[in-house]
Amino acid sequence: MIRSGVRRAFRLALRRRDRWEREVEDEIKLHLSLRAEQLVAQGATPEEAFREAARRFGPLTESRARLLEAARHRELRMHRTEYIADLRQDVSFAARTLGRQKGWTAITILTLALGIGATTAVFSVVSTLLLSPVPFPHADRIVYVEQQPSQGNSTGIRVTITPSANVVRAWMQTAHSFEAIEGTAFGPRMLKTAGEPSRVMTAEVFPTFAQFAGQRPLRGRMFTAQDILNGGRVVALSESFWRQRFGSDPSVLGKMITLNDTSYMIVGILPAAVQIERRVRPADVFLPLDVQDDKRSMALLGRLRPGVTIEAATKELDSIFARTGQFSSGKLPFKTVITTPAQRVQMRDSLVMLTAAVALVLLIACANVAHLLLARSAARQRELAIRAALGAGRWRLLRQLLTESLMLAFLGSACGIFLGWVGLHGLIAMRPTWYDEIQLAHLNALTLWVAIGLAALSGIVFGLIGTVQSARYSAHDTLKNSATSVSASGRHHRGRATLVVSEMALSAMLLVGATLLIRSMANLQNADLGFDPKGLYAVRLPTEPGHDTMPAARSAFMTEFVSRLRQLPGVRSAAIASVAPGSRSFSIGRLEIDGETAPPAGTTLFVDVNQVEPGFFATMGIPLVQGTTFTDTSASARQVIINAGFARKHWGDESALGHRVRIAQNELSGKDEHPANSEPWLTIVGVAHDAATTGPGSESTAPVLYTASGATASPTVMVRTSGDAKALAPITGLLHTMGIRNAPTIDGTEEFLSRALSGPRFIMLVLSIFTGLALALAGVGLYGVMAYTVTQQTREIGIRVALGASGSRIARSVLWRGTWLAVLGAAVGLVSANWATKMIESQLHGVTRSDPLSFVSGALVLILVAIAACVVPTRRALAVDPMTAIRAD
Amino acid sequence: MSRLPVLKGTLDLLVLRALSWTPMHGFEIVSWLERAANSSLEIEDSALYQAVYRLEERGLLQAEWGVTENNRRARYYKLTSAGRTHLRAETRNWVQYADTVTSILTASKSGEPAPAGT
Repeated sequence: MIRSGVRRAFRLALRRRDRWEREVEDEIKLHLSLRAEQLVAQGATPEEAFREAARRFGPLTESRARLLEAARHRELRMHRTEYIADLRQDVSFAARTLGRQKGWTAITILTLALGIGATTAVFSVVSTLLLSPVPFPHADRIVYVEQQPSQGNSTGIRVTITPSANVVRAWMQTAHSFEAIEGTAFGPRMLKTAGEPSRVMTAEVFPTFAQFAGQRPLRGRMFTAQDILNGGRVVALSESFWRQRFGSDPSVLGKMITLNDTSYMIVGILPAAVQIERRVRPADVFLPLDVQDDKRSMALLGRLRPGVTIEAATKELDSIFARTGQFSSGKLPFKTVITTPAQRVQMRDSLVMLTAAVALVLLIACANVAHLLLARSAARQRELAIRAALGAGRWRLLRQLLTESLMLAFLGSACGIFLGWVGLHGLIAMRPTWYDEIQLAHLNALTLWVAIGLAALSGIVFGLIGTVQSARYSAHDTLKNSATSVSASGRHHRGRATLVVSEMALSAMLLVGATLLIRSMANLQNADLGFDPKGLYAVRLPTEPGHDTMPAARSAFMTEFVSRLRQLPGVRSAAIASVAPGSRSFSIGRLEIDGETAPPAGTTLFVDVNQVEPGFFATMGIPLVQGTTFTDTSASARQVIINAGFARKHWGDESALGHRVRIAQNELSGKDEHPANSEPWLTIVGVAHDAATTGPGSESTAPVLYTASGATASPTVMVRTSGDAKALAPITGLLHTMGIRNAPTIDGTEEFLSRALSGPRFIMLVLSIFTGLALALAGVGLYGVMAYTVTQQTREIGIRVALGASGSRIARSVLWRGTWLAVLGAAVGLVSANWATKMIESQLHGVTRSDPLSFVSGALVLILVAIAACVVPTRRALAVDPMTAIRAD
Repeated sequence: MSRLPVLKGTLDLLVLRALSWTPMHGFEIVSWLERAANSSLEIEDSALYQAVYRLEERGLLQAEWGVTENNRRARYYKLTSAGRTHLRAETRNWVQYADTVTSILTASKSGEPAPAGT
C-alpha cells in the first residue's frame, strides 16, 4: 500500500473519473497489441493475430465493463483508505500539539466550555418555557382568551376576568376566527375514595378537549355532551394518576370515586399529553364542564384558524361580546385580551433579558478563544513555514489547523454540555419558590444541537482565522526573518487589541446591568414597608358549611374565636381583617370626594378595600399619622381610614380628617342594588401610614380604604406573636373545641415577603453570576494580550532598561497600556449599557436605569479587573534581563 | 494434454508469485504465467487484469506508469510489503492444503496414507 506522502508526491491520489477510465482503456489496448505482436512473431498473419488476441482476452464489451467496475471500486476504496489515514494522522498530530501546550489548551477549552455551558443552561430553560409552552397540535395557533376591565385598572397588577358561560357560548357559536374554543377550570379537590382524603388536581374541560389536544383516551372513553345532560357525574383519569394511584388497573373503568363529597363514575383514561397547560402539578382527574350552565365562568383557550391575526380575533370577540348584553353609551366594561402561550410564561421578560446576557457571555468567550488561537498561530508562524517549505500543501496545513480547532471545539462543547447540565440544575435549585415551572426545563435535542453547532462553527471560524494569518506571510519571508520581528507586526496586534476592547465593552454592559439589579434588590430589601412583618401571621379559617349563608353566625363565631386566640401564650394581639398581606381586594367604581367635582360617569377605578377591626393597625404595626382608629364600628357610623399616600396626594399638607369619600358603584362592577350616586358617604377618621402589604416596591399613592363595618364576617385573622409560628400551634385544638374539624392555613408574613423578593433575587443572582463569568473571561483575555505584548517587546524592554529606564517606568508603560484598553472598553460599554438597560428598566425599584453610581462603579470594577490582569505581565516585564533580551533571537 | 481451468482464488496467488521477481506490466504477467505453466493453464486474459485490480485495491500491489522496452506507456505492477507477506503465507497454506488433498486422494485402500512421493 502506498503511504500517503508518497502518493501525494506523485500526484496519484485524487484522480478524476475520466482519467482512470482512460487508463483502463489504454491498458487493454496495449495488451491486445502486445499479444498480436507475439502471435505475429510466431508466424501468424496480422489479421489472424488480432482475432486470436481478442479471443484470448475474452468477450470485449463484457470484459471491459467488468474491468472498469473493478477499477472504479479500487479507486474508491484506495481514496477512502488514504483519507482515513490522513485523518488519523491529523487527529494524532493535533492531540500531540495540544498536549504539548497543556495550559493554553486547558484555558481555551475552559473558555469554550463556560460560554457553551452558560448558553446551554439558559437556552434549556428558554426552549422549554418560551419556545414550546403548550403540548397541543398546531401549537403556533393556540391562544388564551381572557377579559380585562376596559379602564380604571391602576393597580399595576394584571386583573383578568374569566368570561361567563353565556359569553363563551356566544363566542363559540358565532366567532369565525377560531377553529375551536375550549373552556377550562383548574383547581384542587379532595379525593375521599379509599383511605385518608388527599388533595388531587382537577381540570374541568369540555367533552371536546381530548380531541382538541389531539389525543384519544388510552382506555374507555372521553365524557360526552350526553354525560353532561345526564348530570355530569363522570370523570376521566390522567394516565399518570391512573398508573400511580390505581396501579394501571384496567378494571377502574365503571368504578366510582368521591371528590369533595360528590361521587363520579370513571369512564376513561386520558394519555399524559392531555393537559391544559404545561404544569409542574398537572391535572389528575378531568371532570366535564358544562358550557350551558350560566352560573359558571371559565378560562378559555382556543385554536385560531390559519391566517387569522390576534388583532382580528380580538376585534371579532369584542364585537360579539358587545351584542351579549346592554351596555350604556356603547362602552364595554371588559375588553378581550388574547395572549399566546409564550406571552403567558412567568418572568418572560427576565428570561429574555437573561438570554441576551448569556449571549454576551458567549460573545466574550468566542472573542477570547479567537485571540487565544490568534496568539498561538502567531507563535507558530515558523513551524507552519517550515512545514510548508518541506512540501506540505496549503490545503494540508489548513486541514491540520482545522482539525486542531475542531478538536478544541469538540472538547469544549463536551465540557460545555456538562457545565450546562450543572448550570441548569443550579438554576433550578436557585429558582424563586413560586417558580416551579422552571423544573420542567431539561437539556433537549435542540439545545444540544445549538451547542454543538456553536462549537463546530467557532472551531471552523477560528481555524480559518489562524490559517489566514499564517497565509499572510510567505514561507520564505518567515524563515528569513526571526520569529520575533514577524509576529510583532502592528496589524496583528491591533486585531487582538480590538477583541479585548470588545470583551471589556460587553463586560461593562453586564456590569452596569448587574449593579443596577443589585442596587434595586438592596432597595427592595431595605424598603420601609410601613408595617412590621416580624412574627406576624395570617390565620385563615377553613370555610365551614353554613357559615356562608349565615353571616351573623359567622360573625359571632369569629369574635369568639379571636377573643380566645388572644388568650394563647405567645400571642400579643390579633385582629380580623378581610385582606391579609399578599392579597388585595378591590372595590371597583368611581371614587368621589365630597365637595369636589365627581369624575365623569363611567370612570372606574380599582380601590383597595380592607375591612378591619379597630385593633388591626396596632396588630400590623401600621402607625396612624392622623386621627385615630375607628371609634364606632357600626355600619351606620360609616367611618373610614385612608392611606397616607392618597391623603398626601389629595390634600397635601392639609388634614384629611373629616372629609368624606365614597365609591360610586356603577353597572361595571356588576352590582345593581345600589344605583350610581346613592352610595353612602364615608367619613375619614384617620390616616394610616402607607403599608406595602403586597411586597416592597408597590405603589403608595393609590387609594386604600380601611372600613370597620362587617370586618368580623371575614375568616382571616392577623396575629402578632412574640416569636415564631409555634405560638400558633394550639389553634387547631382551639378550633376543635369550637367544633371545627379542619385545620386552618397559617401564612407567615415574613415568608410571604421573602417569596415576593425571590423573583428579583433570582434574576439578580443569575445576572451577577454571568457578569462574574464575563469579567473573568475578559480578564483572562486582557491578561493574554498583555502577556503576549510583553513577550514580544522583551527586546525593546531590554534596550530601554539598558538605556537607563527605571523599573517603575517600565511597569507604568505596561499597566498604562492594559488600563487604556479597559478604559476604552468601559467607555464603549457604558454607552451601549445606556441603551441596553431598557431591558431591565421595568424590574428596577428605587433606582433609575441611568443611575450614575451604577455606571461609575461598573467602570471602576472593570478597570480594577484590568489592573489585576496586568500584574503578572508587568512583573514579567520587570524581570527582563537586558543582556539576555538583547542577545536573544 | 488439455488445458486446466484455474481454481478459484489461485489466480491471485499466481499473480503475486509472478510479481515476486520484478515489477511487470499486465502482458508480461500473462506471458510469464504461460511460460511457467507451460501453457497448461487456461486463463482468460481479462480475468487476469481483474485479479490485478483486486489485488491493488487490497493494497497487495501498487501500480505505477512506466515505459516498456519498445518505448510504450504501460502500467507496471509491483508487490508491496503487505503483498509479499500475503504471498508467503498463502503459498504455505496452499502447499499444505494441496499435500493433504493429494495424500487423501491417492491413499491405498487400507486407509493408510501413501508415502509421500509415490
